[in-house]
Formats: sequence, C-alpha cells, structure tokens
Amino acid sequence: MSTLTWHEVGAYAIAAFIYLAHLVGLRRSAVTGGQIMLGVGVALHFADIGVRCYHGTTPISSTPEAMSFAAFLVAGVYLLTSLRYKLTAAGAFAVPAVVALILLARLAPAEASVPTMGRLGQAHILLATLGVAVFAFAAVLAIVYLFQDRSLKRKQLDRAEAVGTPLETLDRLAHRCVSIGFPVFTLAIVTGAIWVARLGLLHGHGTLRPEYLIAVGTWIAFAVLIIARVGAGWRGRRAAWLTLGGFGGTALVVAAYFIRHAA
Amino acid sequence: MAGANIDLLLVGVSHRTAPVAVRERLAVEPDAVAAALAELTAIGPVREAAMLATCNRVELYVAVDDPDRAAAGLAEVLARRAGVAVGDLAEHLYQHRDAAALRHLFRVASSLDSLVVGEPQILGQTKQAYEAAVQHGTAGAVLRTCFEEGAFRVARRVRRETAIARNPVSVSSVAVDFARQVVGDFARRHVLIVGAGKMSELAARTLRTHGATLTVINRTRARAEELAKRFGADVADWNDLRGALIAADIVIASTGAQRPVLTLDLIKEVRKARRGRQLCLLDIGVPRDVDPAAGELADIYLFDIDALQHQASAHRAEREEEAAEAETVVEEELARFVKRWRSRQLGPMVSALQAHFQTIARAEVQRVSGGVDEKEKKARLDLVEGAIKKLLHLPMTALREADPDEVLSLVQAAQRLFSLSPVAAVPAEDAPAVNAEKKATGS
Repeated sequence: MSTLTWHEVGAYAIAAFIYLAHLVGLRRSAVTGGQIMLGVGVALHFADIGVRCYHGTTPISSTPEAMSFAAFLVAGVYLLTSLRYKLTAAGAFAVPAVVALILLARLAPAEASVPTMGRLGQAHILLATLGVAVFAFAAVLAIVYLFQDRSLKRKQLDRAEAVGTPLETLDRLAHRCVSIGFPVFTLAIVTGAIWVARLGLLHGHGTLRPEYLIAVGTWIAFAVLIIARVGAGWRGRRAAWLTLGGFGGTALVVAAYFIRHAA
Repeated sequence: MAGANIDLLLVGVSHRTAPVAVRERLAVEPDAVAAALAELTAIGPVREAAMLATCNRVELYVAVDDPDRAAAGLAEVLARRAGVAVGDLAEHLYQHRDAAALRHLFRVASSLDSLVVGEPQILGQTKQAYEAAVQHGTAGAVLRTCFEEGAFRVARRVRRETAIARNPVSVSSVAVDFARQVVGDFARRHVLIVGAGKMSELAARTLRTHGATLTVINRTRARAEELAKRFGADVADWNDLRGALIAADIVIASTGAQRPVLTLDLIKEVRKARRGRQLCLLDIGVPRDVDPAAGELADIYLFDIDALQHQASAHRAEREEEAAEAETVVEEELARFVKRWRSRQLGPMVSALQAHFQTIARAEVQRVSGGVDEKEKKARLDLVEGAIKKLLHLPMTALREADPDEVLSLVQAAQRLFSLSPVAAVPAEDAPAVNAEKKATGS
C-alpha cells in the first residue's frame, strides 16, 4: 500500500474509533472530531484515486479498485448526509466498513485473471460499484433502524438518543437510497449480462454461474421492496430486513466475483 | 474563602427554608420591581441591589458598606412586604456574605440550588433579575462583576462541562423526547390528544411550540372544544376516533377511563390502514388508555406512564451525580473570581505605592542634579526608578500571594506605613446612579 493509502486508512480508522466510542457513551463533542477525520480521509482517498488514475489505474480497472472506489462513495455519501441529518450511529457502522473494504481491496492479492473489459465491461463495473455503494449505505441505515427500533420497543430513551436518528428519518433515507440504487443496479445487471454473454462466460463450465443467480435474486429482493412499499406500505422493520437481505446478496456477488478472479 | 472582601450581601428565602405560604407573600409582580429595588437602595448602607424573585425563591443581592446594618434593613423590607413581623420571618430567612454570598449566587445560577436540579429556567430568571437592576440604575461594578463575570460564566461552564441539564426529568418532557426519536422533527406533524388530562396538556403544549398540529378528541365534545380553544387545536368527533388515529403521527392519551380506550383490535385496524407508517403512542393516563399488547405490534411505539416515569427518575438520578461535578466547577470558579477580585483590589494600592516612591525619587534626583545636563539627569532618574522597582518587587509579590485572610490587613498596613490614602476596588465611574443620589441627599 502506498503512503497516501496508509494515511487515508489512518484517518478513516480514527474517525471509525470516534464514532464507535460515541455509540458506547463518549461525549457528543468528540463527534465533530470524527467528522473532521472522516473529511480528511475522504480528501486523501480522493487524492489517492486521482494519483492512481494518473498512473493509468482507474476505479473500474479491477475488482480491488472498484471496491476501494465503493468505499470512497460510501464514506463520501455518509459525510454529506451526516451534515444534513444527525447520523452519528450510522457512522459507527459505515466508517469501519469503509476501513475494512479498503484494507480488503489493497491487501488482497492482485487478480490472476482480468476479463477483457471493453466499454460495456467498464460501464458494468462502474454501475455495479455505484449500486453496491448505495445499497451498502442503505444497509447501514437499515442496521441503525433495527437498533433504534429495538431501543424504543424496550423503552430505552438513552440508547435511542445515543443512536440519535429518528426512526422515520432512517426509514425515509434508506428508502431513498434503495430507490436510487435500484435503477443503477438494474442497468449494472443488464450491461453485465450482455458483457458476459459477448465474452461467452455466461455458462462458465456448462452451467450458469451462481453469482449471476444471486445477482438476479438480489435484484428481485429490491424490486419486491420497492413495489411492496408503494403497493402494500412495507416500511420500518420489514423494509429494513429486506434491505439487509438485498445488500447481503450484492455482497455475495462481489465476493464471488472477487474470489473467482483472485484464484 | 473568608476575607475575600467582596462587599456582597445576600438575604432571602427559598423553597429550602420557607413554605409556599411564605414565598407567595413575598412574590413581586414584574411592574413592581422598580419600586422594590428603590426601596432596597433606600436602606443606608446599600450601594447596589438586585432582586431574584421566582416561585421558589426571593433573594436580595446587595453591595453594602455595613453588612450588619444592611441585613437588618433588608429583613425589615421583606417582613413589611410579607405583612409579617420581622421576628416571624426570621426563621425562614438566610443570609450570606462575601465569598459565601457569591458561592450561593453561582449555585443558584447553575441550577444547583433549584427544586429540580439542572432546570434551565433559573439562569434566565437570574439574568432578568440582573438586567432589571441595570435598567433601574441599582447595579454597579460589584453586581456587574458578580453576575456577568461570575454567575453567568459559571452557569455556562456547568452546562457545557457537565450533563446536569442534558436529559429531561419531567414526564411530559420525557414523553416528547420519546416521540422525537420516533418521528423526528415535530413541524407539521399531527398530534392527536385523546382525553383532556393535565399531563397531556403539558406534552401537547411542548409539541405545539415545535410546530405540530394538534387535534383534540374527547367523549364529551364540549370538553374537547374547551381544551382545543386553549391550544389553538382542531376538534375531532369521538365517533371518528379510528380516522383520527390513522391521520396522527403522535397520540397522547389521558382519558381517566377505567378500561383502555385504544384497544388492541382498534390499534391493529389502524396499523393496517396506516400502511407501515410509524405511530407513537404516549399513554399518560392512569388507568392506562392503550392496551399494553399494542406495543408489541410492528411500527407501533407505545410508552406508558411507568416507562416515562422510570426514565424521568433515571434522569433525575443522573443529574444528582452530575451535580457533584458541577459543585467542583463552582468552587474552581469561585477561587478564580476571588483571586481576580483581590488583584483588582491590590491594583490601585500598588499604583499608589509606586507613584509615592517615584515622586520621592524624582524630587531627590531633581535636588542633586543642579547643573547637570538632561542626559545625565535622565540616567540618574532611570537608575533610581530601577532600584525602586527592584525594592518593591518582593513586597508586591508577597501581597499578591498572601492568604486571603491576611491580604486586607497587609494592604491597610502598607497604606498606613507609607501614608497612602485608601483606594477603592471599584472605580468611581462604575458606581450606580443611586449612590450619586445618596451622596447628594447625604443619606
């Protein structure tokens, strides 16, 4: 890892520590420090991506680069959203996830085989990365929703205040993320399907690869979530679980792709 | 911290020393404050006066020349206002002087002496009391320093550095906080008040001030209309309870009915029609107005009186713990204040002493410098002044670092030894208008 990458990971790690400490009772004033460190991390990360692009490695040139880019998007979206809404508890989940994602991307062995990209492949990776990042943020909000729901059902006001974000806000933001992520993810699936069909990889060894099935399953889960919300008023806890399930699916697809190409 | 020599005297009654029957007799209407302050400053030794009058205390903070005579005069004024004999009021009165009075003021402004420790109103009331004194010309340098540089600063620090006021301790405030964690911002939220209990009134008022829209529903429509008029709320017909529940974001229930008015079946029906929208039910009635099983339903958040009271008690206990930390802040600030006050007292004396020595030095240099040029004369003057500075350094340091109990006698000794005229800690231009009048009338 480059010095710049280590510095960005360091800044993110300090921010993650502050957010986690806040969740377990550290004073509120420290959260501003968390936001500042996160801002520093995002800025360094942006510079890191810029330097890599300058050297010919774009965010969509490989799975590790895409993962790092997704981490950057999650951190950036969280930072911007937290300026508008009180999302401190979400930081305790989002920022450590960002650190983990960068470390995984940077410390994992280089990909053994990179399929021929072409414009279609690049479009697919870019859309998939954006979709995964938005779903990851929705999943973080869903986790916080479930925590908040539990605290309020148990009438623990102090815990609910430590989480800090009202249920209704969490539900609304998560829905907004899913609504944005879904069309992006749909396009990612379509471009991906055409891309692998052109490469003749759709049926790897005579059978349909499992990650493609998981991707379709994930797409269906999010489609159900959106339709059920509009049609049957699915919100709150049910929507949170379905969002987590959907994100779990996308994470599995990314993991399967990552492992296959690292092997 | 005796001997700080702050000239501050406090005489008063509070919820700790006097029952409400006594306190209410001492209550002062806002438009009578000017007359009351004038009455206080008419007492001979009182130079400055401020009066803090709330439902839990009536306290007179005065800057005085003769504390014993002033205390007796203030007790007489209070007794006259209460319409009782001085002896009858004496058992309820307390008085503090000097640093003790200042400590009391700091504790009051920081809400450490309040009935509900950490309550936020007292700081505002203390500010109002001081501003009234400023407005009516009865506050001068002593009160300005004690309130502005002391009490308000301490209160701000206590709030900033301790959690004494962080969490609410009243049931209605806790209810509002629970609701905030469910629905967030109250602006344009619909609050349904079921029944017309006193507790629901308090919570509803708070929600109303945050921009919520209120609707009152009651079995007796006339009672609902009466309550709605007080809040500026709408009224819903009891027969449309289901519809009103579907439209609401927050429900405050307090009916006095013997059985739950909001039954499990009704809530289930409402929940279905709400299509997943979260509903916050604040049941502050006894007996309970909402079937407790409703709280188990998804998207329904029920907080009954037990939950609210439990949380309020927990917060009260937290405040008591934080109060110990706040007391430390008060003591630190008191020590800082007294130190600054002493250095202000010493300042004029130090200047007078230096001026005294310099005058002598200049005269002596002048005497022995006949026929020497200006350059030589200046060099001699610099030499002597340098020697004076060095000679005065040790005694001045000793004065600054002297024990508070000693400092006044040391100052007096220095004044006597070097024939310096006594100098006041308070600059003359800072004295309130009332003193000028007193001087003019010779009182």
